[in-house]
Order: sequence, then C-alpha cells, then structure tokens
Amino acid sequence: MITYVSVGLLGLLALSIPVGIVLFLLGFGVDTFFSPFPLTKGLGNLVWSTSNNATLIAIPFFVLLGEILVRSGIATRTYTALDRWVSWLPGGLVHANVATATMFSATSGSSVATAATVATVAMPQAEKLGYDPKLFSGAIAAGGTLGIMIPPSINLIVYGFLTQSSIPQLFLAGLLPGILLALGFMAITVLICAVRPELGGTRRVFPIGEMLRALIQLIPIILLFTVIIGTIYKGWATPTEAAAVGVAGAIVIAAIFGGISVSMIAESVVGTVKITSMIMLVVIGASFLNFTLASAGIGRELSEFLDGLGLSPLATIAVVVCIYIVLGFFIETLSLMVVTIPIIVPLIVAQGYDVIWFGILMIVLIEMALITPPVGLNLYVVQGARKSGTLSEVMLGTIPYVIAMMVMVLALIAFPQIALWLPAALQ
Amino acid sequence: EDLSVVGSWSSLPLHNEYEAPFWTETLPAASNGEINVNLTTHNQMNLGVGDVYRLLGDGVYDVGMTVADYAVADAPELEGLDVPLIAMTADEARAMVDAARPMVTDIFHDRFNSHVLAIAPYPPQVVFCNHEISSLDDLQGLKVRASGRMTAKFLEALGAEGVNVSFAEVPGALQKGVVDCAVTGAGSGYSAGWWEVSTHLLPIPLGGWDSVVTAMNLDKWNSLSEDMQTLIQEQITSGFEDPAWASAQGALDNDIACLTGTGECASGEARSMTLVEVSQADFDKARGILESEVLPEWAERAGEEWTARWNDSVGKVVGVTVSAN
Amino acid sequence: MANALLERLRCMNRIVAMMIGVILLACAAFVLADIILRKLGSSLGGTDEISGYVMAIVTSWGMGFALLELSHVRIDILRGRAGQLGRSLFDLFSMTVLSATITLIAIRCWPVVARSLANDSRANTPLETPLALVQVPWFIGWAWFAIVAWLTLVAAILLIARGEFEQSEAAIGAFGEAENL
Ligand code: NA
Ligand code: NA
Repeated sequence: MITYVSVGLLGLLALSIPVGIVLFLLGFGVDTFFSPFPLTKGLGNLVWSTSNNATLIAIPFFVLLGEILVRSGIATRTYTALDRWVSWLPGGLVHANVATATMFSATSGSSVATAATVATVAMPQAEKLGYDPKLFSGAIAAGGTLGIMIPPSINLIVYGFLTQSSIPQLFLAGLLPGILLALGFMAITVLICAVRPELGGTRRVFPIGEMLRALIQLIPIILLFTVIIGTIYKGWATPTEAAAVGVAGAIVIAAIFGGISVSMIAESVVGTVKITSMIMLVVIGASFLNFTLASAGIGRELSEFLDGLGLSPLATIAVVVCIYIVLGFFIETLSLMVVTIPIIVPLIVAQGYDVIWFGILMIVLIEMALITPPVGLNLYVVQGARKSGTLSEVMLGTIPYVIAMMVMVLALIAFPQIALWLPAALQ
Repeated sequence: EDLSVVGSWSSLPLHNEYEAPFWTETLPAASNGEINVNLTTHNQMNLGVGDVYRLLGDGVYDVGMTVADYAVADAPELEGLDVPLIAMTADEARAMVDAARPMVTDIFHDRFNSHVLAIAPYPPQVVFCNHEISSLDDLQGLKVRASGRMTAKFLEALGAEGVNVSFAEVPGALQKGVVDCAVTGAGSGYSAGWWEVSTHLLPIPLGGWDSVVTAMNLDKWNSLSEDMQTLIQEQITSGFEDPAWASAQGALDNDIACLTGTGECASGEARSMTLVEVSQADFDKARGILESEVLPEWAERAGEEWTARWNDSVGKVVGVTVSAN
Repeated sequence: MANALLERLRCMNRIVAMMIGVILLACAAFVLADIILRKLGSSLGGTDEISGYVMAIVTSWGMGFALLELSHVRIDILRGRAGQLGRSLFDLFSMTVLSATITLIAIRCWPVVARSLANDSRANTPLETPLALVQVPWFIGWAWFAIVAWLTLVAAILLIARGEFEQSEAAIGAFGEAENL
C-alpha cells in the first residue's frame, strides 16, 4: 500500500495534475484497491470537518498580514534597513534575505507567506547588484521556511492540535532553534562566499550613522511581533486568535508607518483568498487520503514495520527522520503533517521522547520538505516572484541551506535542550 | 467475518485497556478465528467527532464507538443519556444507562442506521478550579471551560460563564486566569498535569459521565447469522462493557486520591489539591436548576415523545420528572 | 466566444473573492471584539465556532477564483519539457481530471447537507447553530467550483481547437503570471 501510494503520487504529479487533486485520486485508489469498505461515501463529511476548523482560520489571517506589509511598503523598508546591517558580511545582500525572513517569521505563521513577502521585496535588488541568482533565491526560499519555526506558526498550531500538546509551549520551544537555524543559514553563506566570492556580489559597508538611522525602520515589525506574541503569553488570546490580532495590528501599523487605502486592502484580501484556497485544496485532499489510509490499516502497517525493526529509541528516531526526508521530497508539508502525526507521534512518545521536542524536530524536517524538489511550495513561490531564470536555479540554490537544516536535525537529537530549555526556563 | 472497527480516543484508558484488547484479542479468540478485526480510532483517522456515527450509518466501517454526546447535533434526544449531576457514583450511572438503553437503541436505529452493542463510561467529568471554591454556588460568576450543550446550559443557569478552550490549552488558560475552572475526567486531568495549575477539585460529574456508545452498522448487523449476533453481543457485554463499568468507580476513587492526596494513589505520585466537599444543599440546588431550567429546555429540543419515554425510564431511576415549559 | 466566457468567469469569481474577503475581515473583527470584551469581563461567545464556519465557506468559494488565477500547485517537470501542443494536452488532461474530481466531491458533499436537513441538526454548542444554515452555502461553493472548472475546460478546448495555444495556456496553464503575493 505504501509503495502504491508513493509510485502513484509521483506518477500523477508528473502528469502535472494539481497536487490537491492527486491526493484525492490516491484516496480513491486506496479505497478501491485496499479497502473492502465504501470509504468514498465518507468524502463529504471529511471535506466538511476538515474545512470547518477554527484553527485553520489562522492561515488566511497570516497570509493577509503579509500582504498588508508588502503593499504598505513596510516590507521593503525593513529589507533595506537590514541590508545596512548585514551586507558587510561575505555574501552581502544574501544575508539581508535571511535576516528579513527571520524578522517576518516572527510576525507570520506561514512559510509560504514569509517567502512570498521576502521574495517580492528582494528580487528586484538581485539583478541590480549583480548577485548569483542561485544562492540569492535559495536563501529566500530557505529563509522563508523559518516562518513555521519562529513563533507564531500555523504548522506548530496544527501539531499542537493533532497531538493535544500545548501550543504556547511549542512556540517557546521553536524560538531558539529558529534563531540558530537563521544563524546557520548565514554561517553557511559566509563559508560559501568566502571560498567563492563571485557568488556573493559586492560587500557593502555603511556608515555607522546610517546603520543606526535604519533601526527606526524596524520598529513596525518589532511592534507587530510584540503585539502578536504578547497577546498569546499574556493569556488574552489563543494562538489562533492571535492571528486575527496580527491582522488588526498590521492594518494599524500600516496606517501609521506606511500607507493604507481601500483598494490596497481589497487587493490584499483577494490575494489572501487565492493563496488560502490553494493551500486548503491540498490540506483537504491530504485529510481524505489520511482517512482512507487509516481505514485501510496503514497505522498497523507502519507500527508493525517500526516494531518489527525492533529498534532502540535512537534508531527509531533515525528511521523516522529518514521517512520524513524521503516523504518530504514529494508530499506537501501540511498534508505530510496531517497524514503522519496521528501515526508517528504516539510511537515516538511511547519510546520515551518528549512530544514538544519531537514537534520541533518535525518542523525542521518540514522546513526541509518546503525547499526540496519536486514538491516544495517555497521553490515555486520564489520562482514565481523571479520573473526570469529557471526553477532548477532556485533548487540548486537551496542545497547549502538543506545541509544547514540537516545539521540542525542532528543538533536537536544530540541536544534536545536546544528546544526544551526555553519552555522549561519560563515555566 | 472481517470487521472494520473505529475506536474512541486512542490515548485514553478506555481504548487501551478495554476496547483494543477486546476487539483484537477477546472477540477473535471467542469466535475461533472466524472474526477478523481491523481496528483504528477516530482520532487516528482524523475524523471529526461528530462524523463517527454518520459514517457508521453510511457503512463506511462496521463498528464505531465514541462519546454519545458528540452526536447530539444530529439527535438532540440523545442528550438524555448523559444528564449532568444526576448520577454521582458508577453504580448510579450504570443504572441510568441501563434504563436509557432501549431509548438509545431506537435513536441509533432511526438516526444512524446502526445497532447498539454496548454503552461504557468515560470517567465522570469533574471540575478543576484555580480559584477558591467551597460549594457549587461559588461557580457563579466564574469562567468555566466545558464542552457539550447541556453542560454549558447548566453552567449558564448556575450563573457561570462557559468558555471554549481546547484540552491542550487548559493548563495555560487556568494559570493566566483565562478560565477559573475547567471540566474533564479526573484521570485525564491528573495525567495532563492540571493539578499544577489548579487548587480546588470539585469531585462531582458536572460534565456527566460521557458515555461511549459502541454500535454496528445495521445492514452489517442484519447480515450476520443469529449465532454470530448472539456471540458478539454476549462477548461484548461480558468482555468489554462489564469490566469497563466494574473498574469505573475504583478508577474515580483512585484518581481523586491521586489529585488530592486523600488516599492510596496507584497511578503515581499523589498531589495535594483541595478536595471540595459537596453538600446536600448543593445537590438540591443542582437538581432544582436541572428540573426548572436545563431539562425543560432539552424537552423542547427533543420533543414530547422522547421526553415521555425519558420520564418513564431514566427519570424513574433517578427520581426526576421533566416537563416542557 | 471562449475568451468572452473566460472573461465573464474571471469577473464573477473576482466578485466572489471580494465578498468572501469581506467575510474574512469581518471574522477577524469579530474575534478581536471578543478578545477585547473578554478583557472587560464579558464575552460574545462562539467565536471559534463561527470561525470554523467562515473557514469552510471561504475555502469552498475561493477555490474557483484560485483555479482561474492558476494558483493550484502543479508540478511542471515533464510538462515544462513538452512543446506547445504537448503542454496544451497536459493542461487539458489535468483540467479534465480536476473537473471530474471536484464534481465528485460536490456530489458527495450533498448527503452531508441532506442529513442535516433531515435531522434538523443543530451544533452541539450553546449557539445551537442549525447546521444546514452553514452547510448549504458551503455546498454551493463546491458546486460553483465544479461549474467553473467545466466551463473553463470548455473554453480552453475551444481555444486549442482554434490553435490559440497562448490564450489557452493563460487560462489553464501551470503558473499564474508572476505577481505580488
Ligand atoms: Na512564524
Ligand atoms: Na519537498
């Protein structure tokens, strides 16, 4: 059954059928070939229950927030300001991409929204300043993935929701790994550009006065982050509700620091509807596929597989990491989580691992999946904002950052405290 | 005979200690291998809790089990199976469930095209408060996390405010005062660490007993031979329902001891929440509210016929008569 | 005629997108109001329940708009290597499969609504929302998606039959024009 799904997935995707539809088709296939029961009868209920979900409303809210930041000019000014601070490093503006992505990650719960925001403001600079398009766009795609590690994060909300674990705890746990990952991205950029300076474009050093003045431009984003995270930790709003607070905050901040008009809000809203529908078709398809797989006994098959290996806890984690890396190549990330969490997490917890820690480990793997071909949403988003060049340039450009993520996975396994220290310290 | 079975929450003792062994070991063995079960749970399938019986009726799987209260959207009369605060002990709860069984059987037959095999209890849904309380009356004006329509209505009638918080967020919400009290099973609250963030335990089933109904798709049931039907029914009653009930009171006493340190705790370290004694006056008041406000409202939702049947069965056992306002 | 049909569909879906966008904004405002009221010691109640309904309706109605904007993710590996005619065939096949699948989904959604109507189902919450009230608009959204998909497919077939490959690619190709997200 697992073979059938993997092969079917690749085949149907190669025919360029939309990803969401492919998941439905695979679900129909599992129903027809592996289940004696009329599972497709449950399709309508599945579609209703999956979309009638108050947690998922955070997706459109975060996308909307990003749209407002771009259209009000705040995103561009943040990018320029960060450029003043990091462009002296080998790699120059590439670091601004990572830094901006990190900042926006702190206000956005979605990687796609983060990558889209940064790509929109950064791409025009690349050609102007003569950067290698591969590394430059790779950094945006990879930096964007921080959106789901640094709080807030839709994927962590979904993880908390599916595993019944505390979302604020997960958010705290993601903060340090997120920042370390960002630093890791910058370190590997420095390394590459020190060896091959032609990839990095010109390094630029700005006068200290200009650097300090640029800090003012960061105020809107810091303010927005404070509002969103503050309401969660003050206990005023649930993590999901905080997304709505973020939208209101973005509108107010855009009105003060940028510009705001009815037509701009209208454009932002329409863009939001588009991206939300795109994501939700995939999420609903994945939910249906999960339903058919579970009914046909995949849970038993997987647990028997893992049990049958008779592995030590450490070896189990290694196998699970490999499973996620492989599945991450060709399954969309939210669907990957929805499909696997109910099966994998209980096995991991039974081995004595911490459920919060595993959530963070999984998010690194999910981040990787977002930038590995053939199915990596962030690759497509960045390519979409580029208007020239080929997709494979973006894919090649992300390779160094995938390596950084691998290192992060190993670090998390070796030192679980990277994730668990902060939540414990603030208890 | 291949049976596709969808169980209740996979993380809770009812599934792990009773459902899973029964369906995967007891029943197949008792049938001499004639019955072969494929067991999963509704949360592993990512099913909406309200969908379990709908899909069962459609024949998507053969056997389904979940909390009856999740299905009251489709069958308001089913709320009568689990009325808060009228059964204080497991024995009383079982008597109530047995009295309601013919009703429940008819409801599942008509609404969900399925046949009821067993009704088992989750632990009673008790009250954890991070706020000093000494009686039921003290809930007045407090923010209480509860689920289910009848419990919410009861809290409203009591003068408390119902707040919706997901299970995982309850500790944070209690700590920060987003809610003052929260209702859940005593065992769940113990293992989820609610004692860390709450001070007072009101050990009365404010959220009822959350009865879990096990039912089989009616077409499937009718397709079975009479011998097979008898075998399944006998086995599930003796191998699943009876043991689950038998341990219910002991589990409750143990969980309360674990939370308050007022007795032997077999689950781990005992904690020291304040146990709030519930007085006769409290019960009388609860009864009064139920009879004057909550149940009459339910009678309107359920209709005359079901109200009359309830009065004749459950009502007789617990000594309550409902009349629509 | 094909172009006129596509233009009409785009225009209608843009209006739909605007309307559900307004619903989204209203929902955000509603959530915000509840947070503020809670701080003041009162509550509107039921915001999460209503958010769920909004999400279901926004999702189903936004699908058609996203389709015409070429937003539903497709993998371009083989298709990108094919010639103009080959790409069109990929697109036609993909659109046909999509239309059929969405139609099946819409058909399967109907029994959910029918059950709620037959049982006069009400949400298991203090609001007691009649489920049909929110499921009917949700269902029509999926039906609308199916209709949009079939009409777009017809328009694309007409365009390809006339040899207007670029026009057809703009209607059912793999990527939208690169624009601000
Ligand atoms: Na984030
Ligand atoms: Na991938």
